[in-house]
Amino acid sequence: MTRKKVKLAYIYNDSARRATYKKRKKGLMKKVSELSTLCGVDACAIVYSPYDSQPEVWPSPPGVQRVLDRFRTVPQMEQMKKMVNQDSFLRQRITKTCDHLKKQRKDNREKEVTQAMFQCLGGRVSLGNLLMMDLNDLGWMVDHSLRDINKNMAETLNDGSGMSGASHASQLEAVLAATTGAGPSSAPEPSQMLADNFEVNADDMQRQQWFMEMMTPQEHMGFGGDDMVLPPGDNNQNGPWSNSFFP
Amino acid sequence: MVRKSRGRQKVEMVKMSKESNLQVTFSKRRSGLFKKASELSTLCGAEIAIIVFSPGNKVFSFGHPGVEAVIDRYITRNPPQNSGTMHLIEAHRNATVRELNMQLTQVVSQSEIEKKRGEELSQMRKAGQSQCWWEAPIEELTLPQMEQLKVSLEGLKKNVTKQAQKLLIGNSGPPQFFASSSSGGFFPYDRKAGGFNPNMVLPQYDYNNLGYGRGFF
Repeated sequence: MTRKKVKLAYIYNDSARRATYKKRKKGLMKKVSELSTLCGVDACAIVYSPYDSQPEVWPSPPGVQRVLDRFRTVPQMEQMKKMVNQDSFLRQRITKTCDHLKKQRKDNREKEVTQAMFQCLGGRVSLGNLLMMDLNDLGWMVDHSLRDINKNMAETLNDGSGMSGASHASQLEAVLAATTGAGPSSAPEPSQMLADNFEVNADDMQRQQWFMEMMTPQEHMGFGGDDMVLPPGDNNQNGPWSNSFFP
Repeated sequence: MVRKSRGRQKVEMVKMSKESNLQVTFSKRRSGLFKKASELSTLCGAEIAIIVFSPGNKVFSFGHPGVEAVIDRYITRNPPQNSGTMHLIEAHRNATVRELNMQLTQVVSQSEIEKKRGEELSQMRKAGQSQCWWEAPIEELTLPQMEQLKVSLEGLKKNVTKQAQKLLIGNSGPPQFFASSSSGGFFPYDRKAGGFNPNMVLPQYDYNNLGYGRGFF
């Protein structure tokens, strides 16, 4: 396989064209053969080079004849349905590639906006440089994330066995241990476990309130404008919860 | 990250056993085969005809200049027609094909650019996740983390709305248009065919330059 990318145009250099023809014709025949074998189907190929009035064929002249005969038995409309030439084939490929491109751009835009949202949260960028279109997309992404969080929070709270949310079960256990004195290794009855978890969740919420107040400098609780300052992005906040919640 | 395909595997040259795989393989390989044939005729000026029957007994064919033309030439063993008219027709056809090939090349390279961009963005996201806990997928967050993130997002939403209103009223000065650059804003406005901004540059590591950014973490 060559490294150089070949331009999709007629090769004017005679020797280069000859060499390319030889290689590619061989490759083409191989591909037809593989297709026929792997899928157990009839196929044939006829290739006329500019250098020779004799065609090169696969599988063999009798084989080609057989396939041609079968081809002739197919009603003309059927023949034409999936028949292409350079023109139609290239147009199809262009369309397919364009559709693929559109999807790529859409996906990339989503990724971009998500990144932007994260950066805003981390204080690494200002909203002042954004255009209306970007603000709209950003707003949408924020809403979308909020929806996801709410959904996930609801699931986690309802799912008392702690199956949703990684490490949530272990954290609840840790909190359980802290509050009830029961070791994480003890295995209470499932129903009891559920009840305990619900109880702990209520406490949890209260503690989180407190925790967040700890995180946030008091004067900025109002979220008024751009003055929100929080300790720079640092995973290891010291406090009673650092081990449980921010491992 | 979920792996979508098994990648390149070596295949044994016998008829495939699984019917479902067989159909998929046929589809892909037939498409690739026609692509190779198209390239051969473009690059070397070869006349080609390929006929393939599908597992479902449908018939696919590719031909340049045309399936029928090449079959005729083969059956009748006639040398190709060498008249002035034929040359004119051929020249015209080749010109169209040339244009189509150029168009195709262009779109394909745009697609490759987007692919690279997508990989870069995924890399950024991955790298960010190790540094900032809020970038992790929501399923991996703990309840208090979700709570905190939620509050921060709601705050951000308010700011975004405020800023949007500012722009509408026209108070924040001229919006900045960026063709490229890694400093300043991070949404360079670069209108391309699809109406998207493919060239957003995100100065993720430019902490010094963006001293005005106040965040939520």
